[in-house]
Amino acid sequence: MAAPCVSCCRGLSYRLFLGLRVNFAQTQGYWQTLPVDAQTAPESQILRLIHTTVVTTKKNVSASGRDSYTEDFIKKQIEEFNIGKRHLANMMGEDPETFTQEDIDRAIAYLFPSGLFEKRARPIMKHPEQIFPKQRAIQWGEDGRPFHFLFYTGKQSYYSLMHDTYGKLLQLEKHNDPFPQKTESMNLIGSRWLIKEELEEMLVEKLSDQDYMQFIRLLEKLLTLQYGPAEEEFIQRFRRSVTIQSQKQLIEPLQYDEQGMAFSTSEGRRKSARAEAVVYERGSGKIRVNGIDYLQYFPITQDREQLMFPFHYLDRLGKHDVICTVSGGGRSAQGLLTSDPRVRERKKPGQEGARRKFTWKKR
Amino acid sequence: MAARTVWAAGRCSEQAGAVNRAVRRLPGLTQVRWSRYGPEFRDPLTDKGHCRKPAAELTEEEKYDQDLGKTQLIKAAPAAQTCSAFADPVISKSTNMMMKGGSKVLARSLMAQTLEAVERKQFEKYHAASAEEQATIERNPYTIFHQALKNCEPVIGLVPILKGGHFYQVPVPLSDRRRRFLAMKWMIKDCRENKPRRTLMPEKLSYELLEAFANKGPVIKRKHDMHKMAEANRALAHYRWW
Repeated sequence: MAAPCVSCCRGLSYRLFLGLRVNFAQTQGYWQTLPVDAQTAPESQILRLIHTTVVTTKKNVSASGRDSYTEDFIKKQIEEFNIGKRHLANMMGEDPETFTQEDIDRAIAYLFPSGLFEKRARPIMKHPEQIFPKQRAIQWGEDGRPFHFLFYTGKQSYYSLMHDTYGKLLQLEKHNDPFPQKTESMNLIGSRWLIKEELEEMLVEKLSDQDYMQFIRLLEKLLTLQYGPAEEEFIQRFRRSVTIQSQKQLIEPLQYDEQGMAFSTSEGRRKSARAEAVVYERGSGKIRVNGIDYLQYFPITQDREQLMFPFHYLDRLGKHDVICTVSGGGRSAQGLLTSDPRVRERKKPGQEGARRKFTWKKR
Repeated sequence: MAARTVWAAGRCSEQAGAVNRAVRRLPGLTQVRWSRYGPEFRDPLTDKGHCRKPAAELTEEEKYDQDLGKTQLIKAAPAAQTCSAFADPVISKSTNMMMKGGSKVLARSLMAQTLEAVERKQFEKYHAASAEEQATIERNPYTIFHQALKNCEPVIGLVPILKGGHFYQVPVPLSDRRRRFLAMKWMIKDCRENKPRRTLMPEKLSYELLEAFANKGPVIKRKHDMHKMAEANRALAHYRWW
């Protein structure tokens, strides 16, 4: 725009002060002052602002309304990332071919050490697909007609997915024979349905909770019917594997002491109590805590019952000896073995305790 | 097919978890009762016989549950829970309800003394009775405890419902949990309040338990009063909307 006149600027700043997001490109087109007579006073200039609309070519904003990154831009970013990765590998003296993302993270943390508490504010170097959010290409052609037939629903990917799934369901119901043979069911135990966030990421669309639940219900209905390999492949797209919890717990191998007796050490904690226990293979059920016999250390029956619980469950009550050291916490916390994440709830402001509110007074 | 139909029932937990998570995210609703455990945690199984069954005996449902258990996270067992045969859930609940100020030690000792007192009284009666009566006298304190509380459970309860600016006592069916809770609550409250000076809780509680076992005593009377009031307010039953 040519040298803006004073009044125009004042008008603009007034709008900015009101907190309205002004797209400068647009205002240039929309708001224009008519040429003012030089004889009139500067104050009356402001009052005489006459606005006229001028047709301008607007930016073609995509349906989501966010800044859209073009495909070329993303491709360029990916190329730059790959080149940068190789440079980084050379800098660190490693092989560029086998430089993984973890190596990149470590290298960046080494070269740009940052003491910022917010992890997301620290320097990162990741693949552009993880940094730039997934965009959707413009969904209509030059004539303005949308490509997808469900565009006007607002959530075209979701509804088209529902449409496909329901189509499959109807097909299976048609071919369903009343005496189905037992087909081997896929691994339902080791996998779970993808969560709402994952589905949103897959469809690049915002979904509501009800939409998500409806989709999962459809898939579950699909599972009750006899399906073939094509449908199985379709369903597997929406399943994610779940870690087997028992494999997560690392069982350390047995250690052997001088006499050749096997023993195993383990740690446990609850609240602020820390305990380390050594269980011996052969014994008569004696337990020593901090050098004191358990009968004297835990005078309360309930604590001793807690100690007995794991042995009693495995029917090995008098078969093992235990020597343990505990510190911190109270009598109840020191008796526990599995990690209990429950801690004392904090007191909140505006309340008397964690849950108790102040007495309500009418006035 | 059976596995899949069973899975539909097991899905409820996942859906409940999903619904729970959905509730968490709804902007207008905030969960008031939250715990350190997420919704995916399930309660621990302290039943010893659970993993003793050989694989052949397990039904498909149990097999499915066992497999599912491998992938699910489990909460830690509370301090008072054991797989001991002597651990009775009813007794534990009553002990907790009797507890004051968190002194579980005192509550547990009181409960133990109560059961001992009940047993002693019953044994005295037993030795003093004739042969025919001895067969009818119950000496196991646990059965007496359970039966006494069962006798004290009200069948129907009253709920204050606001209608037209007034609170009306409307008869309402009670759930099992509520009934057990009320029975225990009335028993403990009665023993605390209507106690002559210098009597200790175990003594009074054992006396009340034996009376309730015989279907007489103040707690049973309170139950009957509740039933009579519910019967009297029968006309207001239509105020209930659930």
